[in-house]
Amino acid sequence: MASGRDVRDMLGLPAGADVPKAAVQKRPKPAGGSRKIQGVAREVAALYGERPPPVAVYEEKKAYRAKRQSTGPAKKWVQQPFTNPARPDGLILKHWRRKPTAAPAVQESEDAAMQDSENLDAYLESCTDYVKYDIKVDMPTFTDEEYDAQLRSDDWSREETDYLFEVVQDYSYRWAVIWDRYEFEPSKNRQITQDNANADQEQALSTLPFAPSKKRSVEDLKARFYEISAKLMKLRIPEVQMDADQYSTYEMLTKFDPVMERNRKMLATALINRNMDEVKEEEFLLTELQRINMAANRLDAEREELRSRLDAPPPNQQVSAGLQAFTSSQALQALFQQLFQQDRSKKRASGGGTGPGRLSLSANDMVHTPGSAQQQLSAANRRQSMAQQPTAQTPVKHLSPHQEYRFNVSTHDRLTSGVTFGSDKLLKMRQAKSNVQTQKIGTMLASLGVAEVISIPTSKVGDVFENLITKVSKLLDVRKVREKEEGECRVLLAMKERRENGGSASVEPRPKQEIPDSQGTPDVDADGENDDEEDAEGDPENDEDEDDAEGEENEDRGGFNGEEDADEDLDVDAEGEDESSKQQSRATSIGGAGHKRSASVFSQGSQQSSKRLRK
Amino acid sequence: MNIPNSSTAPAAGEYAGDEVSAIVLDPGYSTVRAGFAGEDVPKSVCPSFYGLTDEGKYLFGENAIHAPVGNVNIKNYWGSDGIVEDWDTATKLWEYAITSRLTGARPGDPAKNGLNDGADANGDAMDMDIDAIENNEKPLEDSPLLVTEPGWNSAKAREKYIEIAMEDWGTPAFFLQKTGVLAAFASGKASGIIIDVGASHTSVTPVLDGMVLRKGVQKSPLAGNFVSSQIRQTFKQATPEIPLTPHYLVQSKTQVDAGAPAQATYKSFSSNPPTDSFRLNEEDRILTEFKESVVEVWPGPGRFTNGTNEELAKNMPGRPFEMPDGWNQVFGPERFRAAEGLFDASAALTSETNPRPKDEQTIPRLVQAAVQQVDADQRPMLLSNIVVTGGSTLLYKFNERLNYEINNIYPSTRNKLIAPGSVVERKYAAWIGGSILASLGSFHQLWISKKEYEEHGAGIVEKRCR
Ligand SMILES: Nc1ncnc2c1ncn2[C@@H]1O[C@H](COP(=O)(O)OP(=O)(O)OP(=O)(O)O)[C@@H](O)[C@H]1O
Ligand SMILES: [Mg+2]
Repeated sequence: MASGRDVRDMLGLPAGADVPKAAVQKRPKPAGGSRKIQGVAREVAALYGERPPPVAVYEEKKAYRAKRQSTGPAKKWVQQPFTNPARPDGLILKHWRRKPTAAPAVQESEDAAMQDSENLDAYLESCTDYVKYDIKVDMPTFTDEEYDAQLRSDDWSREETDYLFEVVQDYSYRWAVIWDRYEFEPSKNRQITQDNANADQEQALSTLPFAPSKKRSVEDLKARFYEISAKLMKLRIPEVQMDADQYSTYEMLTKFDPVMERNRKMLATALINRNMDEVKEEEFLLTELQRINMAANRLDAEREELRSRLDAPPPNQQVSAGLQAFTSSQALQALFQQLFQQDRSKKRASGGGTGPGRLSLSANDMVHTPGSAQQQLSAANRRQSMAQQPTAQTPVKHLSPHQEYRFNVSTHDRLTSGVTFGSDKLLKMRQAKSNVQTQKIGTMLASLGVAEVISIPTSKVGDVFENLITKVSKLLDVRKVREKEEGECRVLLAMKERRENGGSASVEPRPKQEIPDSQGTPDVDADGENDDEEDAEGDPENDEDEDDAEGEENEDRGGFNGEEDADEDLDVDAEGEDESSKQQSRATSIGGAGHKRSASVFSQGSQQSSKRLRK
Repeated sequence: MNIPNSSTAPAAGEYAGDEVSAIVLDPGYSTVRAGFAGEDVPKSVCPSFYGLTDEGKYLFGENAIHAPVGNVNIKNYWGSDGIVEDWDTATKLWEYAITSRLTGARPGDPAKNGLNDGADANGDAMDMDIDAIENNEKPLEDSPLLVTEPGWNSAKAREKYIEIAMEDWGTPAFFLQKTGVLAAFASGKASGIIIDVGASHTSVTPVLDGMVLRKGVQKSPLAGNFVSSQIRQTFKQATPEIPLTPHYLVQSKTQVDAGAPAQATYKSFSSNPPTDSFRLNEEDRILTEFKESVVEVWPGPGRFTNGTNEELAKNMPGRPFEMPDGWNQVFGPERFRAAEGLFDASAALTSETNPRPKDEQTIPRLVQAAVQQVDADQRPMLLSNIVVTGGSTLLYKFNERLNYEINNIYPSTRNKLIAPGSVVERKYAAWIGGSILASLGSFHQLWISKKEYEEHGAGIVEKRCR
């Protein structure tokens, strides 16, 4: 390496002491010109003359980078020896740290430096920043007695069980790694005993302290470990005392089924190992399915649009039956005539009385127009004709009671004109003649749990509600009577008392008898009403539900199939992972705070990645 | 706004970094990489080939082994199975790699190592250094050491590593980690499948949460050296045979037309000619150069020998190459041939010294075998984290082909290749991973300390470095 002297030699500088002097000479005097443009060569600056420069000159001062703040002399760094308390052996490593500023001002002399380094040597930092990464996994533990009493297995020797626990701890429940590293071999000296023991071969395996090593699958290992964990858990906390969390862990542990797991994995493997053709076929089927679905959607949408454009009336059996009649030109002709007539009659009526509402008209008209015989009928006897017309003219489709029920079809002898809302009807029923009575009905209904506003006031609900209301008002009436009677009783009793006090002994038994009577009947009634009420609420809803459920079930089935197809390639594995990881984490948390394990020492990967990113 | 500059310390806990001036050593068949943990490239990269003179003197380093002098045999300390064979030389060479560039002959204290000496430094520095060596025999007394090992390293070899580090070099703390894991770390992954195509070996290593799944580790000798030997055969089997003249034999050259015989004046080493092994090594340098600039991997779809692919390749523009002696040619479809053997054993060129490689040694088959050994639940996750590393993966279009092959085997999973774009990261991934690991604060507790070594013996590596 070239020393300073060599360099000086090469540059032809005088050796030694002259150098600092030259440095002193070089110190620049303050610049003569008052306006010195920065960032521009001197020669260029001279060309500017007096005027400001024609273009903005980038000034170095405005650099975006934060300027180094020179706060005094350079900070000193030292290699600070430290220990990590997580290490049992007290290994001392050194890292760079700012020299503590609290140290006394150090003179720049050899002595001081020496002293300083001695001080630092003496100081040993205990670096606790990373102790949090020293995480031990929670493991179930058992004693020899417990093992002998509860945990024996025909398939597992004690030695191998211990080995299993050791490996699980070493690899923190990472079952894939545990299986990868699981290499159990019975220890040597025991091998000899085995040879001796071969004589009495028929001994049960579990009583032997060893078992021939065999190839175990992950499921075998898990099954054994979970079984022991579950048994120990039950031993420590009786089932009834477990809280929800513990119990679900316990359940998870007991429900582990190695055979099912194995089958699941076989399926997953088969899924991964599909060849190109199979994958292509699946892809093809999936696109086909998607295409069909899309087409179906489009078709539906188109139909919907068509329907809305036609503005079809609500599906009313009578009406649709009537509409069928208008398919021929003859029938249309009849319709026209009928409308014409109707118009005229309307004009006539407009003078005085209240004409029928438009809506009711159209419905009625349509129903009865087709018949040629009725053409001459005047508006006056229209109603009558309506009653007989369906049977005579249009082929009314008769529905079975069930269908009628299902489609909510009802037949009426008489229809009131106009449109009414079911909810209005219900509301009206709540109102009695007097305000007090109304209030009473309200509280009664409230106590029965009937909502203020009934959401789907179908006619059936309306009927039932009507029933209920009549019963309620009956009940209220009965109550009123009872109250009156009771009052009378009280008066009579008081009179009797007075009389007894007064010496008279004649007692009238009648009121006493009446009291139970009057109390009895309303009670029975009330009970009955309760029942009725329940029915009223329950029935229609239940029935509707039934219908809905049917539909949904079908849809569901269809949807499920589709999904299954679509996700088949990934879902199985994903689920598998989830399951096993759940089991793993549950198993961990037996002792309590198992979650912490996730921040274990081996999670360095992620930290590294973040560090890399910063780099 | 206060933008941190190079002189502001990173916020505490910003990343778990806490450097302890550890040294990371990543020995490979072609080069040994060494450097300080926390840096992003190894400062010292030195060839694993070394010269051994007839007098038993060792020559290390790029300059020494390429100097054409007589009586020097060029050797390599690695065995054919990818495990260190010649431990004595390995120790010397590694020590050279560390001390020549990193610690200096006198390790440790930067205040006194001569780099920071001021104006009064004088010519005595050399003498002082020699004194220092005598005073301070153990070269690594101040630096913890992290060494990388191949995934298939034997238990005995692992113990040897710690013995060298502790006994010969006196390191205060030591750790051994597999190259696969470190390469994954370098790509920011804790789990994945690592495909490492180096010089002597190709390896496939499944890694889960920073731990190698041992049963899944696969290796094969189809790697950089194999490609070199394929090129050699291409040259031999060409008509007329393509001459392979290393640089050191050429005095001067003149330009000739493509394919025309070279017109160069050659050096003569009458008195003290370099050995055959020297020439072989120099020829390999040319082959490496050829590999880097001409050889191309058939990118798929299909294999190179399939159907019309060869015809297609004929229509692609060729790539020119000029030998040290001036001979030059444009290489057409034959340039695809050299690396095809990595993926398709039946396409490999063979001769009596180079038998046909086995089918299960090809990279796709290795991947398949590795995946097969992993729990079914982990497979999709691993396949979506395939880390590609090693110098030979820099072959042109290598990744395209690998991608094609893997998707061909596993068409139903989401397979993702993670191949760092920069050459340095690809070549030195294992070292970089080691650099990250050894500079983490959370790693402090994993080191095997000297005390622990003395207490438990060399067997402790098996327990601690899993
Ligand atoms: N740009 C390139 N194109 C093709 N091959 C290259 C390129 N750069 C390097 N190589 C090859 O890569 C190999 C070196 O790779 P690497 O450094 O990963 O190997 P190694 O780790 O020393 O060996 P191993 O892993 O087998 O012990 C050499 O064979 C070299 O010829
Ligand atoms: Mg390598």
